[in-house]
Amino acid sequence: MIHPSSSPPVTPYALKGVYKGILKVSVMLALTYALISGLASILPAADYRELPLLGNRVAVWIPAQLHLMFAAFVLGVPIFAVITEIIGAVTKERRYDELAREFTKLLAMAYTVTAVLGCMLLALLVLLYPKFVGYMSELFKPTWLLYIVLIFGEVIVAYLYWYGWDTMQGRYKKWHIALGVLVNLWGTALLFVADAWVTFMMSPSGIDEANHLVSLWDAVANHTWMPINIHRLLANVAFGGAIAAAYAAVRFLNASTDEERARFDWMGYVGSFIAIGAFIPLPFAGYWLGREIYQFSEQMGVSMMGGSFAWLWILQASLIGSLFFAANFYLWLGMGRIPGANRYTKFQVLMILVLALGFLTWATPRSIIATGGEMAAMGGSHHPFLGLFGVMAAKNTAVNLMILTTFMSFMMYRRGNRIPVVPWATVGKALQALVVAVAVGIVLFYGVYSYFVPSLVRIGFSVYQVSAVLGAMAVFVAIDIPLLKGAREIGAIQWGKIAPRAQYALFFMAIVFTLLMGLMGYIRSGIRQYWHVYGRVADESAHAYTMSHGSATLIVSGIVLVFLLLIAGVFALTARQKDKRGDAPAQVALAGEDAR
Amino acid sequence: MSRTLAKILVFTLVVIGAFAYLGQLVPQFVEHPPQKVVITTTTDKADLAEFGKKLVRGKGGCLVCHKDQETGNERGPDLRKAAAQAPSRKPGTAAEDYLIESLKEPGAFVVDGYPNMMPAAVKPPAKMSMAEVKAVVAYLQVLAGGEPSVTILPEDVATAAAATGPVHRGRALMDTHACIACHSVAGEGGAIGPELTTVATRHEPATLLSKIRQPSTWTAEGFPAGVMPVGDAIPEGDLHEIVAYLASLAGKSYSATGATSPWSHEGLRLGLVILIFNLGMLLVLVLARRGERARGGASHG
Ligand code: HEC
Ligand code: HEC
Repeated sequence: MIHPSSSPPVTPYALKGVYKGILKVSVMLALTYALISGLASILPAADYRELPLLGNRVAVWIPAQLHLMFAAFVLGVPIFAVITEIIGAVTKERRYDELAREFTKLLAMAYTVTAVLGCMLLALLVLLYPKFVGYMSELFKPTWLLYIVLIFGEVIVAYLYWYGWDTMQGRYKKWHIALGVLVNLWGTALLFVADAWVTFMMSPSGIDEANHLVSLWDAVANHTWMPINIHRLLANVAFGGAIAAAYAAVRFLNASTDEERARFDWMGYVGSFIAIGAFIPLPFAGYWLGREIYQFSEQMGVSMMGGSFAWLWILQASLIGSLFFAANFYLWLGMGRIPGANRYTKFQVLMILVLALGFLTWATPRSIIATGGEMAAMGGSHHPFLGLFGVMAAKNTAVNLMILTTFMSFMMYRRGNRIPVVPWATVGKALQALVVAVAVGIVLFYGVYSYFVPSLVRIGFSVYQVSAVLGAMAVFVAIDIPLLKGAREIGAIQWGKIAPRAQYALFFMAIVFTLLMGLMGYIRSGIRQYWHVYGRVADESAHAYTMSHGSATLIVSGIVLVFLLLIAGVFALTARQKDKRGDAPAQVALAGEDAR
Repeated sequence: MSRTLAKILVFTLVVIGAFAYLGQLVPQFVEHPPQKVVITTTTDKADLAEFGKKLVRGKGGCLVCHKDQETGNERGPDLRKAAAQAPSRKPGTAAEDYLIESLKEPGAFVVDGYPNMMPAAVKPPAKMSMAEVKAVVAYLQVLAGGEPSVTILPEDVATAAAATGPVHRGRALMDTHACIACHSVAGEGGAIGPELTTVATRHEPATLLSKIRQPSTWTAEGFPAGVMPVGDAIPEGDLHEIVAYLASLAGKSYSATGATSPWSHEGLRLGLVILIFNLGMLLVLVLARRGERARGGASHG
């Protein structure tokens, strides 16, 4: 019970906001239900219905991918917000709290768009694939009920989190942070439930020979469930950070005062920092997922990595490679505003070299479907020389070195304007250099050694390489924190004094992240080929074929463009909304700039 | 301001355009799902090998690892030589048995120099029936320049039917309406009437529908007329499901009644719960407002 004389943290104003959210979701669900059952009773019964013009496949693909991207955004933003809010509470720096607040404000509108897209997807699925959806919803019945409960729960906590922001300051702050953590737990639960359906379609389990349910838990906890959960969770954080950084970049470029420029420069930096931080472990999560796919079905694994889909990994590699480039480019430009950071400029040539070589290696295909003439020219199905770089060993080596390079850019950036003064500074720095050198040595050693051992042994090596890199990063940071304690500052970071080019690097990262999500989404879904549920329930519609990569990338590109336009709309509309600060009218003036 | 936005838009279009262009540079091909084949005990040997070829290149997914011509993958042994090498592979196992075993249980004998990575052809995703496995063996034998030695037994065909497509309510309904007492389908049932596994290859689904409704429409060759009971008591939806099932066994598609809406009654019940929940929220809101007004009044007074 809260003491009656103090203003309660949950005001009627907040409750009203929450209720509006609930009402919105309820109405949307009711409309979708009415639409589906109405149309289903008019349309002739069928296993598949055909949508004219677009065709079923594309008609479902577009809202599904857009829904997923928005979902990633609304799951990523609260993670991003809570982290920044906690930093703000710990450092007592007001600007972190403001930053977190600014992004949480986006949630209401973003939820609406996510929900509308979700309802569209649901309606299209039920109407176009009645038989298959009937099978899935029968199989997973308790989980979709749970999903609806979770959606309402998510709306309640998230809206309370937003509407309680201003009233839950000061002594209520820790409760507000707890609320933020709850939003994330709830969102994660939602993600996990939805992933169960998707991963079941990839790697079914828990059903008998006749596809009847044997164990719901086994169907949920199938081979790829956890790896996809983790992969998506990390990707969501990275994605939220990247979009936040892009937003800051727009505001930076449009800013008219130095003060604004300083603020949005800093915001862009925080966003990109969180994006890259979450991005670094992603390849590892990806390997885990890949391994589980191989374990589930060797054939699915092989056709994913070496079959027709191999070419898409080349596209993916070029996206990821350019992402690393952009991240490092941004950091290096950012060093321009850090007095003293020019000490590190000399390393940039070497780093570009590592990135470029790594990029080339990663983009080298292993086994591709070559024509007879091409094979004759190469003297086999693999290129005699380039083939060496196509194998996983070389790729692991490359990606580990690229990750380490990006990490080093960050560390140099961090140290830019500071000179350690602790008595053991020289020893500390030498130790750090040693650790990095050892990690590089281990990665290279196992990379080369891989060529001399059978593949079964080789797979184990990637673990050593990853551990070396992760270990080196951990030790480096562990030394760095005490090392920079009380360090002498050469000068304060001059926020806002960064080239506009750097902002385009931030856009680039956001666009490439979105493209990556679209592409990976297609690969994940596409490797089922002509199956609804891989190996179990065949897609017997006219859309069961696997389309050409050219068509697929065109559709992905279109989706990404639509997503970016939609999200820009969400930002613009939210900025225009009157920002009522809880029940405290005195604070409205503070928010003036949000409305601009 | 708008200049900046225009610049950003152009930049975005260029990046996305570059990606889309990159996607056009890689090889382009469309992959179609494999065609279904129906194998019976009477399928001609040459046809069998032809079916086998289709299976190897399509549904079996064998070419992901093997090659059956000059160019192809070499993760597994060259299939052109498989049948020729089969007699000497596993001591004490005849060539045909070895080939069948290498498809059914690839792990039972692993060829020297290769990892034990091959998935069993009878398991998903290939999920071949024994008849299909034998067709593949026939193809391998022809590929090596020999003659197919396999014979399809009735029990091989049995699993062929079980292996197709999604679960069929139609099969269950054939139990319910006792068709199984007189007909065998997918290897089960009586012999008073003709085998129905392949009936849909001979007749169109619509014809089958009228036959089941009214058996006197026509009479199958070699069987007595007037034995099969009139099916007008069978619910319309069930008739369609049964025909859809028979059609699917022949690789044809026939839309049954369609799925019953997954949202039928649960949807309404759920809606009711949501409505009550909404009213509850509204009540809490009203009470909170009231409380606030009362408090506001008290502090002012
Ligand atoms: C994931 C890769 C893979 C797939 C898919 C695959 N195989 Fe294999 N197959 C192998 C490997 C590796 C071997 C050798 C090791 C062994 O004997 O298990 C092999 C062995 C064989 C052999 C024995 C060859 C010999 O010379 O003794 C036959 C026959 C065969 N496969 C046929 C097939 C057919 C038919 C299919 C499609 C249904 C198929 N394989 C699918 C990898 C595969
Ligand atoms: C009492 C035994 C009996 C029952 C029960 C029965 N049938 Fe028949 N059915 C026959 C006989 C005998 C024939 C062959 C003579 C004829 O065509 O009427 C036949 C023929 C057929 C044919 C044509 C086969 C062909 O090769 O041309 C179909 C199709 C068929 N039945 C379907 C069904 C279905 C579906 C059911 C269940 C609803 C069913 N039957 C129940 C005895 C039966």
